Amino acid sequence: MNVSFTLIAAVVGFMIAIQFQTVKKPDERDTRDVWQLRAALLKEKELQSNLLGEIRSNEEKISAYESERKQSKEQVLRDTLQELKMEAGLTEISGPGITLKIEPVIEDIKLGAPVTTVVSPELLKRLLNELNMYEAKYLAIDGQRIINTTVIRDINRETKIDGHTLKNLPIEVKVGVDTINTAEKLSNRMKVSKARDEFFTESLRLTVSEANPVVTIPAYENPIRIKYMEPIKEGGGS
Amino acid sequence: MWLPFVGLIIGIILGLLTEIRIPEEYSNYLSIAVLAALDTLFGGIRAYLQNIYDDKVFVSGFFFNIILAASLAFLGVHLGVDLYLAAVFAFGVRLFQNIAVIRRIILTKWSPNKEKVEKN
Repeated sequence: MNVSFTLIAAVVGFMIAIQFQTVKKPDERDTRDVWQLRAALLKEKELQSNLLGEIRSNEEKISAYESERKQSKEQVLRDTLQELKMEAGLTEISGPGITLKIEPVIEDIKLGAPVTTVVSPELLKRLLNELNMYEAKYLAIDGQRIINTTVIRDINRETKIDGHTLKNLPIEVKVGVDTINTAEKLSNRMKVSKARDEFFTESLRLTVSEANPVVTIPAYENPIRIKYMEPIKEGGGS
Repeated sequence: MWLPFVGLIIGIILGLLTEIRIPEEYSNYLSIAVLAALDTLFGGIRAYLQNIYDDKVFVSGFFFNIILAASLAFLGVHLGVDLYLAAVFAFGVRLFQNIAVIRRIILTKWSPNKEKVEKN
């Protein structure tokens, strides 16, 4: 009897000790007196003032660098780069412009005949040429920015713009120009242009919006590959 | 007779020396297990004093009570009812009863014993 009783008593004691240790909070009382507290406070305040001084000096440095940078050539280069990027179509642009909408002609839909859902690349190319003729500067078709190297072509009876498929009509063509006046002119010219008739013969309707003060044209998304262009070597005049 | 107390003290010393701490969320279970164990221990002492002690009953009761109490607490946590209070209550009442019985037995043992000793 005594063996099992002793063992179990030991287990109980063990459990009690563990429970006691778990519940017991570590009590470390703060026994510093007023003067010790003051000394500690003083120390912390010194640390704080040191930190503040450091922050101030760092901020001064930042502003010094900033002003230096502004005056340097680097800024000019930066600006130029930004301009070039804008010209190449790598930046999003908002400005005056118009929006064209290409949609199927509803009256022309015949029972049994498939609804036109493809805009042929030739038609789009003609439209772009016409727009460019009328001083359009930035173009985007269905959210795809048109840049100098953009290809519009037919692949397996799907019209693709740089690999993006034009599938769902209506398609929006966003055109950005320099001034609101140009936008108005462009709008008026497009309203009477041949392009509308050309679209209509393919059962598509081209709707031209009024001049809009703010049209946002997205940036070109894909990387631009330059295959046949090299920088001129320095010193080598030609 | 004193061996169980030695065991208890050894257990406490061991527990204090090992510095084991269980996570806060499990301390509930341990506390109720401790209560159950204490109850069993006192029940064992009482049975011993009443001469109805049985090793099997004692050992099985010890483990069974602990497991039951812990599972009751577990169930209570999962049901959202403080079921472990029921265990605390039950074990607390039994603890008091057991201790009262032990005290009476010891008292009755003591007083006639003295007389017997005196008589002898």
